[in-house]
Amino acid sequence: MPHWFRPHLSRLVNDYGMLAVLLLMCLYYSWATWRVRYPVGRDAARRVAEEIVDRQGEKAEVLVVAGTAKIERQFSDTLAALLGERGFRVIDIINDSPPKVAAAVRQLVEQGTHIDAVAGTKNCRRVLDRQKETLSALADTQIAVPESYQWPTFLTARNLLNVANQIVVIAVIAIGMTMVIITAGIDLSVGSLVALSAVVVAKLIVTSGAQQATNLELFWCSVAAVAMCAAVGAFSGLMITAFRIPPFIATLGMMQIASGLAFIIARGHSIYQLPNAFTWLGRGADLVVPIPVPLEIVWIAVPNAVVLMIALYVAAHFVMAKTSLGRYIYAVGGNRRAAQLSGIRTGRILLIAYVVSGAVAGLGGVIVASQLKAGAPTYGIMYELYVIAAVVVGGTSLAGGEGKIFGTLIGAFIIAVIRNGMNLTDVQPYTQKVVLGAVILGAVLLDMLKRQGWRLPTRLRLS
Amino acid sequence: MKRFSILLATLILSSLLGCGETHTSDGMIGVSLLTMTNPFFCDMAEAMKEEAAKHNFTVIITAGEFDPARQKDQVEDFIVKQVDAIVLCPCDSKSVGTAIAKARQEGIPVFTADIACLAEGVDVVCHVASDNLGGGHAAAKAMAEVLEGEGKVAIIDYPQIESVILRVEGFKAEIVNTPGIEVVAVTSGGADKKKSADATEDLLQAHPEIDGIFAINDPSALGAAATLEKNDRADDITIVGFDAMPEGRQGVKDGKLYATITQDPVKIGRTVIDRAISYIGGEQVEKEELIPCEIYRKANADKDTTLMDKQ
Repeated sequence: MPHWFRPHLSRLVNDYGMLAVLLLMCLYYSWATWRVRYPVGRDAARRVAEEIVDRQGEKAEVLVVAGTAKIERQFSDTLAALLGERGFRVIDIINDSPPKVAAAVRQLVEQGTHIDAVAGTKNCRRVLDRQKETLSALADTQIAVPESYQWPTFLTARNLLNVANQIVVIAVIAIGMTMVIITAGIDLSVGSLVALSAVVVAKLIVTSGAQQATNLELFWCSVAAVAMCAAVGAFSGLMITAFRIPPFIATLGMMQIASGLAFIIARGHSIYQLPNAFTWLGRGADLVVPIPVPLEIVWIAVPNAVVLMIALYVAAHFVMAKTSLGRYIYAVGGNRRAAQLSGIRTGRILLIAYVVSGAVAGLGGVIVASQLKAGAPTYGIMYELYVIAAVVVGGTSLAGGEGKIFGTLIGAFIIAVIRNGMNLTDVQPYTQKVVLGAVILGAVLLDMLKRQGWRLPTRLRLS
Repeated sequence: MKRFSILLATLILSSLLGCGETHTSDGMIGVSLLTMTNPFFCDMAEAMKEEAAKHNFTVIITAGEFDPARQKDQVEDFIVKQVDAIVLCPCDSKSVGTAIAKARQEGIPVFTADIACLAEGVDVVCHVASDNLGGGHAAAKAMAEVLEGEGKVAIIDYPQIESVILRVEGFKAEIVNTPGIEVVAVTSGGADKKKSADATEDLLQAHPEIDGIFAINDPSALGAAATLEKNDRADDITIVGFDAMPEGRQGVKDGKLYATITQDPVKIGRTVIDRAISYIGGEQVEKEELIPCEIYRKANADKDTTLMDKQ
């Protein structure tokens, strides 16, 4: 290694060592989720068509069966078209639930229809196998369903988007939390603010016309909910700066207040009469980006919430790294007294941090409400802990003055990958808690060792 | 640095290794329960595993722990895993709609157990639950019987959950048949022992005259019982619980509760898995299956060999 490169590398490792951990985890889960998978949709149709051609040769009478979902209709329509091109006769296309499919197949057999092959989706395999066992007329009939292949479940485009989508809310809130923790504070109220914001936005939409609300109204309702949470953040900030209440206590109080308010506003129930347009943010995916994979380019629709998250991270990174506000935030957290003596209005900086934290928590609540198309006071349970964990795992020091915005994003993804990976590898719910806790402890331990210059204490002092 | 990142990585890897299992089964069913901190759902989960094993299926058990967003994540993970069916105990009867719609878009059939989905335009194949409405009626009968047709009653509620709403509805519908009994207060106990104990404390302040408490589940009932004992009111206020969990049945045996209403989580779990496997095999299933509830009194508890003698 050239000597001039060494300081750069050590800085890189120090700043983004967690990135390596994240990549290692992705590798591990890619290996651990190596499972049998089935092609779906058009891809499955092509494979099944080949299977039938291989077995039946030139001519055959084929029945196509599938479920009613869009992707299953894609399968049946594509397959019928492909078979038609080859000169096969498609007896019928049945799109229905498994019991109805079974009944339809039985009926065709009873009518004496000759069937050379029945083609179906993976979900129809069981139905078709059972019919073949019970109906003697189907004894020589080919049952063609998509052949399975081996591939890591973790490493599918669908799942990687899933991971991103699942962590959006935590990651967005963690932006504000990173700022607050860099100022050597903490904000415990974010989880309750998620619930409050979700309930308020749902309530506002219901009062401004429920399912008839226009897109503009939806936008302003969301803005109002975010603004209200920013105001709540400002209130906590004021308690901390003007009245010198420790952040832990001030936001602990606010956590209770916000949760209680959410229950009062929603009267303990969930508010659900929301228009479909409201799910645009949480469930929509409008931006289509090309991803080059070997031999071809795959177009993938990125969820809108993920786009929003990335935009917010870029903006926050810019503020923290390039503006004086960002430098002041680090300065206040590093040494408040010194910052004050050098002319920084520390109170105002702290206030801004808590306002941002409240606002992004409010935005998180709007995203959850949009994802679930309802607002309920039970949302956001324990989110503050996941958010703090993401920030700490991302390398921000709880002592203040140190931390990176993109480190937090990596921290959030580490938590998301562990959670998703454990679900995919069937880890028991109780064990999941243990592992998550261990990861958080490990990250804090790493942070402590980093600050001590990677030396373990020579003697453990227990006094 | 290098040393420690390697150390950390091996630590994490070794802790996760061996957690993953590979099986060769006929199919996979993803289950997301309301919570795994309530024995009711743990019993249900065990029954589901047993029933699935009979058909050479595997079930993947997860729990939303009352967080609808987390439950939605779990459903998404099931979709990625290409499970054959999904069974849910919704954390929120309305918010669960989007998750079910997503699974249906991929052609995965969804079943609900114990708690129904109330979102509009959502396609659930079959709902298996206790007859909660009937159970509420049974609870009211038990209350009328112990109060001998006269008295004031409070309800410890938790109206976030559909099954609880039905229980309270059934209770109120039945109790009007006994004109001497009046429901004077309805308070929320969070379906939780500690919170119900606190709620009962407040209840005794606001309505010291009550003669009976109907709690919507056994943890709530036992929480109330603890507060009554503390305030020396256990002898003049009677409690009727719901669920007949082991702890609740023990409470009946020890005389802390007059009665509890038996729900059969084992039967619910077995039935829902059986219906799911039948359905994906092409058999017709009913839209709703109600598992009947019965009153469990001290006489039943004395015969119950799984319980300890009074301490």
